[in-house]
Amino acid sequence: MAKNIYIGEILKNEGIRENYFLMKVKLPESFDDPKPGQFVMIRIAGLSEPFLGRPISIYSFRRSKSSAEIELLYRIVGKGTQILAGLIAGSQLEIHGPLGGAYAVFPEKENIVFIAGGIGVAPLSLLAQYLCKSVCIEPSRMSFYLGAQTAKEIVGLEKLSSLCYNMQICTDDGSKGRKLFVTQAFAEDIKKYDPVNTAVYACGPKGMLKALAGIIGKSEFHCQVSLEERMACGTGACMGCAVAIKDKSGDVAYRRICSDGPVFNLEEVIWE
Amino acid sequence: MKTKTVPNMAVQLGKLSLKNPVMTASGTFGYGEEYADYVDLNRLGAIVVKGLSLKPRLGNPPPRIMETAGGMLNAIGLQNIGVDAFIEEKLPYLRKYDVAVIANIYGESYAEYQKVAKKLSAAKGVHALEVNVSCPNVKKGGLSFGADPEIAAQVTRKVKEETDLPVIIKLTPNVTDIAAIAVAVEKAGADAVSLINTLTGMSVDLKNRAPYLKNITGGLSGPAIKPVALRMVWQVVKRVSIPVIGIGGIMDAGDALEFLMLGAKAVQVGTANFINPYATTEIIEGMQNYLKNNNLKDINKMIGTFNEGGSS
Repeated sequence: MAKNIYIGEILKNEGIRENYFLMKVKLPESFDDPKPGQFVMIRIAGLSEPFLGRPISIYSFRRSKSSAEIELLYRIVGKGTQILAGLIAGSQLEIHGPLGGAYAVFPEKENIVFIAGGIGVAPLSLLAQYLCKSVCIEPSRMSFYLGAQTAKEIVGLEKLSSLCYNMQICTDDGSKGRKLFVTQAFAEDIKKYDPVNTAVYACGPKGMLKALAGIIGKSEFHCQVSLEERMACGTGACMGCAVAIKDKSGDVAYRRICSDGPVFNLEEVIWE
Repeated sequence: MKTKTVPNMAVQLGKLSLKNPVMTASGTFGYGEEYADYVDLNRLGAIVVKGLSLKPRLGNPPPRIMETAGGMLNAIGLQNIGVDAFIEEKLPYLRKYDVAVIANIYGESYAEYQKVAKKLSAAKGVHALEVNVSCPNVKKGGLSFGADPEIAAQVTRKVKEETDLPVIIKLTPNVTDIAAIAVAVEKAGADAVSLINTLTGMSVDLKNRAPYLKNITGGLSGPAIKPVALRMVWQVVKRVSIPVIGIGGIMDAGDALEFLMLGAKAVQVGTANFINPYATTEIIEGMQNYLKNNNLKDINKMIGTFNEGGSS
């Protein structure tokens, strides 16, 4: 029997930018170590609204002797996250997880490239942290392309700067870093990376990932993306969080982001 | 004083014997194994599996779900692996458990309903069929089978021709007179009826002036629909003598007992599984505790005890 639903206590829930929040939650020590790319479903203990849990990827994780701590970096996008943002320290949450699959890692590849758009930085930060601390990848091998619409939406930079030597910041309006899309910045640098010897990880809005699919095209880059969609159960039963992919025979099939993903190979995702 | 003996939870729905009256609602519990990490499947009254069609179905493009006040809308589009893959890949797993397995079936023609029913009747380990005549999401068929008493009766007759298993007809609430449909399928040989399926609804994104669901409309479920479900079960139990299975917004033992009191012989727990994977077993335990605390030795003593003349 899986016992992966816990009552967590909010230690901190702070607005770090307009509409961006960082929440730190204390969990019992039995909470499993999350793998990079995994997420939790959050409900507010004792409240019937929001009705469904909200899937939020894990931004960082720390374990102490008698408890575990996760950090969630999230953006207010609707009613559920709006309510979450209003919670104060000491509030209790139902935390279901860690759920979903993880990014596959390739320690033998020379270059690790991360491409994040906006809040997509969250799961990639955990991955960078994991590669650095648990797989001992040197910061010099990791390049992080972090983009957002404006400087205000560039979040998580401080933590990443200590993990990756090559930080490339892009904003749509040029208010911070280079004035271009993060995918364009990667495209400009693409010749620096040997496709066979590079692992690319991306997370961000659909438009960004679609553009990346165009840039990477039929090259030999191996690219994994993590996707999001509204979910009801988070465990594969409701079939609500569908993504269209090309299956092995080349036909269109819907996969569940919660349990077949949230990490997919970029080449198999079908973009509208 | 509390009784010391464990109360009887077993119920009989015609030929179908259940350990207790709590089933999973189709489409909310996968094929059972999705919840085996959370629930001891042996403890359930029955597992009603995700709706099966003759051929695998792709389902609808996303977004497929949206939260609404006290519930959710879904437009999954009956994505499923098809009856053959179910029999080959999923049923052997379920056979390992001592639990009634009810296959929910769906067709776009009488012939399809019949073929699916026949295949499942020949397979070992299926204890009953639940016929979906009510899914509102698929444009062809679906709604029309369940919305007309004569067509619903015809589906019932056609399925009965192909099987000796008990046949449960799952009724749609998107009709003017659900009891008339229940009466029609009873006359056509249905062994039981289950109700309600989801209510057709929609949800509008003001900012983008667009629907939240790609399918535009979806099926509403969750606590928001419980009052409608109670009313419909109440209307149907008065008009039919076959067992009635109550479905709609059951979140806890109290909700389940309300349906039983109205006269439902069993209940199905659906959307609650999504927000609490332990919901089914918690409801079973809660019902047992209710019986103990009220000195009742048998769950059947609750069924149909609703006092219409009383008020609180």
